[in-house]
Amino acid sequence: MANIFPRWANRAPLRVIGCLLLVVGAVIAGGTYYLTPKYARVGYEPTQPVSFSHDLHVTQLGMDCRYCHTNVDRSQHSNVPATQTCMACHSMVKTDAASLQPVRDSWANNEPIPWVRVHKTPDYVYFNHAAHVNRGVSCVECHGQVNEMEEVYHAKSLSMAFCLECHREPEKYLRPNDKVYDLTWQPESEQAQIEMGEELVEHWRVNPPESCSGCHR
Amino acid sequence: MPPLRPSMDQEFQSLEEKTGAAYWKSLDELAQTDGFREWAEREFPQGASELSGGFDRRHFMKIMAASFGLAGVGLAGCRRPKHEILPYVDTPEDVVPGQPQFYSTSRPTPWENMPVVAETHGARPTKLEGNPSVPGTAGGTDIFTQASVLDLYDPSRAKRNRSGGSTLSRAEALDRITALGEKIRESGGEGVAFLAEPSTSPSRRRMVAELRKACPALTWAEYQPIDYQAGDRAATRYYGRPSRVQPHFDRARRILAVDCDFLGREPGSTRHTRAFSASRRVDDPKEAKRMNRLYAVEGDLTLTGAMADHRLKLAARHYEGFLAALARALLAGGETLPPGLVAAVRGMPEDPAVPADWVEAVADDLRAHRGEALVAVGTGLPERCQFLGLAINEMLGAPGSTLSLLEREEEEATTISQLANALQQGSVNTLVILGGNPVYNAPANLDWPLLQQMAGEVVRLGYWDDETSVAANTFLLTPHYLEEWSDGETREGTLLPVQPMIEPLMDSFPELEVLARLGGRATVDPYEIVRETFQQRGGGSSPGAFQTFLATGVLPESGYPVLRDATPTGEVVRVLREAPPAPSAASASDLCVQFRPSNQTLDGRFANNGWMLECPDPMSKLTWDNAILISPQLGKQLEEAGEGQIFPASNLMNETGQLVQNTARFKRGKEQALMAELTVNGATLRGPVHVLPGLDTYTVVVPIGFGRTAVGPVGQGSGFDAYPAIPADNRWNASGGRLQLTGEVYELANTQEHWSMEGRALLREGSVDEFAKKPDFVSKMSVESHSPPIYGRNKNDPLAEKVTEIPQGGSMYKTPEFTAPQQWGMSIDLNVCTGCNACVIACQSENNIPIVGKDQVLRGREMHWIRLDRYFATQSEDEDGLPDDVQVAFQGMACVHCELAPCETVCPVNATVHDSQGLNVMAYNRCVGTRYCANNCPYKVRRFNFFDWNKREIDHFYEGPLGPSGPPKPLKMQKNPDVTVRMRGVMEKCTFCVQRIQAGKINQLAKAGASSDVLVPDGTIKTACQQVCPAEAIVFGDVADPTTRVSRAKESPRDYAVLGYLNTRPRTTYQAKLRNPNPAMPSKYRYSQPFGRRDYEQRYGHGGGHGKGHAGDDHGGKQPAAASHGNDY
Repeated sequence: MANIFPRWANRAPLRVIGCLLLVVGAVIAGGTYYLTPKYARVGYEPTQPVSFSHDLHVTQLGMDCRYCHTNVDRSQHSNVPATQTCMACHSMVKTDAASLQPVRDSWANNEPIPWVRVHKTPDYVYFNHAAHVNRGVSCVECHGQVNEMEEVYHAKSLSMAFCLECHREPEKYLRPNDKVYDLTWQPESEQAQIEMGEELVEHWRVNPPESCSGCHR
Repeated sequence: MPPLRPSMDQEFQSLEEKTGAAYWKSLDELAQTDGFREWAEREFPQGASELSGGFDRRHFMKIMAASFGLAGVGLAGCRRPKHEILPYVDTPEDVVPGQPQFYSTSRPTPWENMPVVAETHGARPTKLEGNPSVPGTAGGTDIFTQASVLDLYDPSRAKRNRSGGSTLSRAEALDRITALGEKIRESGGEGVAFLAEPSTSPSRRRMVAELRKACPALTWAEYQPIDYQAGDRAATRYYGRPSRVQPHFDRARRILAVDCDFLGREPGSTRHTRAFSASRRVDDPKEAKRMNRLYAVEGDLTLTGAMADHRLKLAARHYEGFLAALARALLAGGETLPPGLVAAVRGMPEDPAVPADWVEAVADDLRAHRGEALVAVGTGLPERCQFLGLAINEMLGAPGSTLSLLEREEEEATTISQLANALQQGSVNTLVILGGNPVYNAPANLDWPLLQQMAGEVVRLGYWDDETSVAANTFLLTPHYLEEWSDGETREGTLLPVQPMIEPLMDSFPELEVLARLGGRATVDPYEIVRETFQQRGGGSSPGAFQTFLATGVLPESGYPVLRDATPTGEVVRVLREAPPAPSAASASDLCVQFRPSNQTLDGRFANNGWMLECPDPMSKLTWDNAILISPQLGKQLEEAGEGQIFPASNLMNETGQLVQNTARFKRGKEQALMAELTVNGATLRGPVHVLPGLDTYTVVVPIGFGRTAVGPVGQGSGFDAYPAIPADNRWNASGGRLQLTGEVYELANTQEHWSMEGRALLREGSVDEFAKKPDFVSKMSVESHSPPIYGRNKNDPLAEKVTEIPQGGSMYKTPEFTAPQQWGMSIDLNVCTGCNACVIACQSENNIPIVGKDQVLRGREMHWIRLDRYFATQSEDEDGLPDDVQVAFQGMACVHCELAPCETVCPVNATVHDSQGLNVMAYNRCVGTRYCANNCPYKVRRFNFFDWNKREIDHFYEGPLGPSGPPKPLKMQKNPDVTVRMRGVMEKCTFCVQRIQAGKINQLAKAGASSDVLVPDGTIKTACQQVCPAEAIVFGDVADPTTRVSRAKESPRDYAVLGYLNTRPRTTYQAKLRNPNPAMPSKYRYSQPFGRRDYEQRYGHGGGHGKGHAGDDHGGKQPAAASHGNDY
């Protein structure tokens, strides 16, 4: 009896498996690259022109977020401080530190300091700081423990799913308005957070948008 | 005063000031930042831009291979770019990056200043809104003001000062001005002439006076192509003192407009529209009789004529006879005038073309409302007509009640023809032209382009590289009004500031500064000059007073004083006595030609403004072109004379069964118009013919302001120039026109060539009488009264409950959940909508809506989110089926935000869905461009981005990425940063200005803080169309709260939903239009129901076409049959 299968059929299964492995591997690699938080830049930590330490200024010196980010509660955009703000102190403190040379240059030459942007939502997302910080959402919820950062890095994914987590269950994240800028504040327990959160949601009539128009216009 | 230092805090809005050749300081420079360039290069590696130069297949393949290779290997292009944040070094006061700022200013025109509030984002003005602090306009603006912001960013605006062919630096240009000033002052102005566009600025008046004092021999002439001053001149001669008639339409119950388009092209129309709508608006059926009644007499078909309750078609040459007949009828009714005037009026010739019965009926109605009646005579009418109008108003007791006589300041200026004489005699060696565009629009008989060369040197101060600039020896740039300090006045003389919103983009010289320098003044800073003027006008000298003036944008109580004890001069009698015999009736060989400012380019000054050119004319619905507008009857006559086929043939086959080539094919967006030659006043105009119902049979209307030769790429090739045919002595009308078809065909981009509503109940109309007796007549129209109960047993629930709970009615579909505390809705009152189109442009400027160009409009791809549907209804048709007299109604149509939206059910990717506050939203990112939604939208309000309108230049759409990328950069600066700029392949539509809703809500949240005060107060959020509407026809707000204005508007018995029987439950509903016919009119003109309504009743009404067996409570069974149909109207 003649062979039913030709000779090359002996190696066909191997080849099929090999191809499949390649395809699956590419899919996994792509998925890892595009879909994991890494793609959303978690961990992104560019080198800034001035090695500004939030840890030093906030945790050790006890400065409030709004000393520099003055418009965070008034605007969609939380402004990066003007050179003027830096010079308010550094015209007297550490006036000759080498690390502050770019700040002094900026002040002298009237040229802005080119800070590197860390957190960025896409163009089609209209995030608004004022709507959040005035209503019990602390900086840490999106930016992580900035107060402890030597150099600012991207701590949370800021993906749409990340936003919706909170918009769907705001009670898990809300805190009293006077604790919004207190980045070290912790609820007593998870249970206490939920109880307080639910109370705030009810009293403040918190109704975070879950539909497209909330963020996309 | 706005801080002119731009914001540096938004990297995509950085407006860093740089000196040098680059005139664009913003987004594109940002595009040159390292991070951006790196990103761009990584995405399209190795000079993909080279492709735009030429196309070479090998080269293309090489590049593509490289780019695919890189994309595969590195994937780096998919990573986000490195962005920089450039904060201020020293933050200006009051600047909050990310928040828009609002400053009051005003838009100057030669006849009035329009008060506005400019919205600026990072020191870029993006949107202009009316200033609510200024009485009169009270927050409304007009279409031209809305569009004027685009001119600031026009990439083809003039960019350099020059002399001969060489560019002048700023210093050189200043030297020129100084030298010219010295020369002028030395010679005492001998041989120097100025030709300026008129201005309302008191500061300019002051500078001119000072200049003339320094140089007494100087000639100061003023000229504007549209003669808007005939009314003022006539009033001045009538009373012997410089005066102006200021009508108060809000106080008038009976109004007669004689060729006076006070809702449209007349100066002050924004104010007039607001006032008129105040006395037109009817909320309570019991008050219905208080609604004003408007009569219009015109040859043209204007917005005012469209609004009129009775409209008399009359050729322009008979206006004088009409007014004389009216004056006589009033005298016969017992009204009085000074005896000399009575004799003069009685002695005026009778015009047989004027229907005496119409005049008498109107005279009776006006007399019955003495003190509440007003006759408005168009500014374009000749002096005798103006005199008669003033006399009639006096008879009706109008001065002091429905109109004020204001005492203006005397203005002395030479006319352009006197200047022309001086030029002819060679007595002018230096001619300075300030603004205007005389080479294009000076009276044709002067032959200005040649004449101008008689002056040795021509210095031009202008904004555009237009015909006049090209012909000048020295050309100096003026700033846009959003870049300069100045001031101006409203029609009633109230002082308004003009303040800069942005640093001048060019090296330009404000007119005030130039005049001050020429006059040898010590202070030449326009800011200081404006402040001085403010103090002289009694504004106070404290800095606080001036700051308040700038903040509110108006100096209250600064208007012209009221003229008291004014009596007609003897001059009036003399002029009236000189009246010529009655003119012969017009005929096809002696046409009346009306020249009217275009609704798109005005007098030509908006000829390069894409928004205006693409905005359909309210009546003809033409875009990008003007046309010779003729009446259907004249069209038929031309057709019968064998000149060509104008109307679509009703039978496309001839007797032998052959298909007939129809030269007047009407397709969507394409009108195959026949070209014609119009010979009038010794000139021949060539243009396409467009048939417009409602025109007087032998009146031909020609919009001016097209056919510019030296204009930017946008306006190039639009329309034909009508100026050569305009007579020098009468800038509005001419006689003796002849029309001849040439046989050629021209494509016109017409967005709505359909004539009538065909009896459908999309736009519902009723008469005041009917509304008073049967307020809910609208709900008895259309299929709603027949269709299955839409809301089921919840039919009578309050609106607030219906919009939140969405009763399912008989529907099987699951209904969306509207959980937000505030639900948005809109109400549009058709009764006051004048069809002015301002909402279309306001929407365009707010929502980053692109223009698409004539070629794409011809394909029906215009992108306007709101359109104005114009419907004609006719009283009777002649044997050819041509409409005789027409009534016109407008209906603004944008996405109505159906609660049960048909578009949503067909979207395969959930790109269009409902949000919790009742908006039908578009998620552009999800849209894959199937266009199913547009197909399934019964209102046809969805617009598809067939091309990258925002990224490509007009006329290069088909080249895709190989064509030049555009639009040119400055235009990007106009874009509203709060609205996505849509890309190719996505659907878009009205969003109810969701960005404004969200801004309103977020501001309220920020204010609420730790409290429950999260509801936005009524009136805080205004959509762009609502904000601009001079008639206040649009109301927007929370429909879940029964106390809001919009909820109350929707409670009106006139409220109805368009296509409501489809169970779409639109959030935008309309209030039916009312007409107020005079029952005492002669039978020929009498009607009891608007034409469109009667047409509807005849076709579908009860007891009429079909409903014999239909009687029932819901079906108007109680209605007397004779009221809805029959022959009694």
